Amino acid sequence: MSHSTVPRSSTEAAAPEKTPVASGDAIGPREKPPAGKLTLRHRFRRDRVMVLMTLPAVLLVLVFNYLPIAGNVVAFQDYDPYVSDNGVIAILNSPFVGLENFQRIFEDSAFWNAVENTLVLFFVQLVLFFPIPILLALLINSVVRPRVRAVAQAVLYLPHFFSWVLVIAVFQQMFGGAGMLSQLLRQNGYDGIDIMTNPDTFPFLLTAQSVWKDAGWGIIVFLAALASVSPDLYEAAAMDGAGRWRRMWHVTLPALRPVIALLLVLRVGDALTVGFEQILLQRDAVGPGAGEVLDTFVWWNGVRNQDFGYAAAAGLIKGVVSIGLVLAANKVAHLMGEQGVYKK
Amino acid sequence: MTPNAASASSGPSRRSFLASTAVATAAVAGGMPLLAACGGSDGGSRDGTTSGKDAKKILPAYVASNMVKPDIPSKNGSAIGFTGKLDLSTLKTSVAKKLGKGGKVTVMSPFWGSPPKQNNSYYRAMNDLIGVDVVWHNQDGNTYDQKLGAVLASSDVPDVVVVPGWNMGGKIPSAIISKFADLGPYLSGDKVKEYPNLAAIPTGAWQRSIFGGKLRGLPMPQSSAPSMVPLYRQDIFEKEGYEVPKSCDEFMALAKEITNAKAKRWACLDMKWTAFQAFGVLSGSEKPLGWNLVDGKLVNRVETEEFLEALEWSRMLFAAGVVHPDSKMGKNAPDAGPKFAAGEFLIYPNNISQWWGRTAEQATQNPDFKIWGMDIWGHDGGDPTLWAEQPAGIFAFVNKKAPESVIRDVLAVANVTAAPYGTKEYMMTNYGVEGTHYTVKDGVPVKTDQGNIEVMNAYVMVASPAATLAHPDFPEVAKGQVLWQQRMGAFAKKSSFWGMQITEPARYTNLSNDFEQLEDDIVRGRKKISDMQQAVADWKSNGGDKLRDWYKKLLDENGSAAS
Repeated sequence: MSHSTVPRSSTEAAAPEKTPVASGDAIGPREKPPAGKLTLRHRFRRDRVMVLMTLPAVLLVLVFNYLPIAGNVVAFQDYDPYVSDNGVIAILNSPFVGLENFQRIFEDSAFWNAVENTLVLFFVQLVLFFPIPILLALLINSVVRPRVRAVAQAVLYLPHFFSWVLVIAVFQQMFGGAGMLSQLLRQNGYDGIDIMTNPDTFPFLLTAQSVWKDAGWGIIVFLAALASVSPDLYEAAAMDGAGRWRRMWHVTLPALRPVIALLLVLRVGDALTVGFEQILLQRDAVGPGAGEVLDTFVWWNGVRNQDFGYAAAAGLIKGVVSIGLVLAANKVAHLMGEQGVYKK
Repeated sequence: MTPNAASASSGPSRRSFLASTAVATAAVAGGMPLLAACGGSDGGSRDGTTSGKDAKKILPAYVASNMVKPDIPSKNGSAIGFTGKLDLSTLKTSVAKKLGKGGKVTVMSPFWGSPPKQNNSYYRAMNDLIGVDVVWHNQDGNTYDQKLGAVLASSDVPDVVVVPGWNMGGKIPSAIISKFADLGPYLSGDKVKEYPNLAAIPTGAWQRSIFGGKLRGLPMPQSSAPSMVPLYRQDIFEKEGYEVPKSCDEFMALAKEITNAKAKRWACLDMKWTAFQAFGVLSGSEKPLGWNLVDGKLVNRVETEEFLEALEWSRMLFAAGVVHPDSKMGKNAPDAGPKFAAGEFLIYPNNISQWWGRTAEQATQNPDFKIWGMDIWGHDGGDPTLWAEQPAGIFAFVNKKAPESVIRDVLAVANVTAAPYGTKEYMMTNYGVEGTHYTVKDGVPVKTDQGNIEVMNAYVMVASPAATLAHPDFPEVAKGQVLWQQRMGAFAKKSSFWGMQITEPARYTNLSNDFEQLEDDIVRGRKKISDMQQAVADWKSNGGDKLRDWYKKLLDENGSAAS
């Protein structure tokens, strides 16, 4: 990828989209391979200021994203963090057990249960959550009066800033077994219903909470994309006799398509990450049978049971599968003619 | 996994150690086994237990305190009780001169309830009295097990960490042995006499503080008599004419009578812990307590019929709709305190300390409120079979990296918090400052709102005197508690590994991690009894049977306290 690719000339810097990654890397056909090394140095000298400016960010990524990857080695160990005060020494002093942790995982029904829950939740959220911000964005976009629009946006964004603890407490007060809805039903002669502790509907409960909290926040990207649609297009379409729906179909949605594709790819890459805090806070309410997802599985075994090697192995599997998913989703995006997350 | 080890934490998830927790003086006298060195041949020196001569070398000397004579002496493993009037003007002084050297000590401790602000007037007054600047890192007690492992794995462990026995799951015992200091050089033998209040802590509690062959813990002694009480709203019982049940069937009938969901009233919370008692299930508060020798063979609690029956009965309560719906949420449930006060449910099992805690909390705003403890019934209406509690269940440990000055300061803290009833130090530790945290009415201390907020948990977690039940503000509660313990203690037996501090070999530590969760799932109707049977079968074949052999060997080498 390419943010690090350096445009060949500074004039091109203004138009980076003209310098796709691949050709940038290959240094271009005009320059001869033997000169490669020299060219690199040459380019470095030319752009050293910019390289320098990226250093802090690179350092951050290295220290907090890449360095910890080395810690995955504990997945192949019977890791005991308590043998030393120093994490690195603890790793050196823990015995290697080969693939034993992975073997245990594949035999562990709790792991497969977590995988299943994760996937179910992913699909439910994909179908029920993903389209909502798009619809909301279209709705907001159609509001013409700026005041109304500002108020609506504020109201929609607000829940995003509530913590999960708060959101779940509110849901509990409303829909819990002794909550408002249940008491209302009971007072009118019906049975109370306890939505909060029903394992069968748990994925829908989680999705409803996510929609309430984050759907509004999710419209920001789409609104930005909508703002970039030239009004000329609408005018032209209207002149040609396109009605409201046709304009949406032929102008608005095509404008949103790249963004939707990009977000879909990202979402698929994140498929195995379905909301750790939200689920952990409710795991006990429905039991691990319905409430255990991969992230809580890792947390439960690692942090709570201190079986760190085992948890790391589960985390590693999740990471590898996620990379595969991103690559696959990206490929699909390319096939559909979209840019995706990166381009070859 | 401790607690849940073989079972579940039976640790109440909401133990409120408000002030005094009890313990048995009898523990000491009672049959401490002469243990002999490490039992396990297979795990190096870390697993096993320490007993006999090896233990004798490191145990502190016992010097009884004769500050005050209890009104009710210990019987059947109960705490000692003080039910008379406390003359606040003649309190004794058990710590003649400040032992603290003014250092700073950070303490991480579980806290049940809402922690007060840092640097509040109670903390300041205690620190002044001790001469040490104690800084509290209070953590939610209900989810303490979820934080402990991560904190101990970091390189930034506080000076003192309080660890309840039921939180010693997974690799925590290994962490205790490698991260915490040996206090033997400061306390073993006659050295403890420098700290007279620590010297008066019963030997049985110290015995339990030996981890990995070294004296590492500062114990909170507790009575061996049961401490898990089915608490109920006596005021509402009287008003409605409800009778305290004497069997599981009577309980069920009563529960149905009480429950009126329309009026937002249910009979109880999850009664699992009471069910375990009623059916005579071995304790799940700590892994070793879950084993008992029956006809020459060690049996684990999860293998017993009673265990399944208790789960089934608890499940029936949920299924009958008599349990408050919040209970379905398990540990994610909101605080039950206000709902109990509001009468949304009338019965719940919890630590005996809540008997007084809730009383004190509600006294001013809710004068009709009366909480009392039910006697535990045998499931069929006969006498129950109960299992003795350990002589100490909560320990404070000092960071291995702490310099001697800090260790000395910690011991100074412990020497004050372990002061016996009837001393100024006890009064300060448990009630705070007169005029601020309590006022004296007719010679009786009454906690103020500020007192109820600030004088909670914290200092009482570091080390405590021999189990004491004394509430000068509510002497009738103290009396009720002690007599309850004595009645119930009469039914209590000691299981095979009672009194020992045992570290299991590392490879078995995760074996029973999921039992507690499964219990809760079954009780709430999400899993079936047959799932538990399957889990037990898996447990056996995955190492449970080998663990049994390991324990058997330990027992053969060390003898038993069983009664």
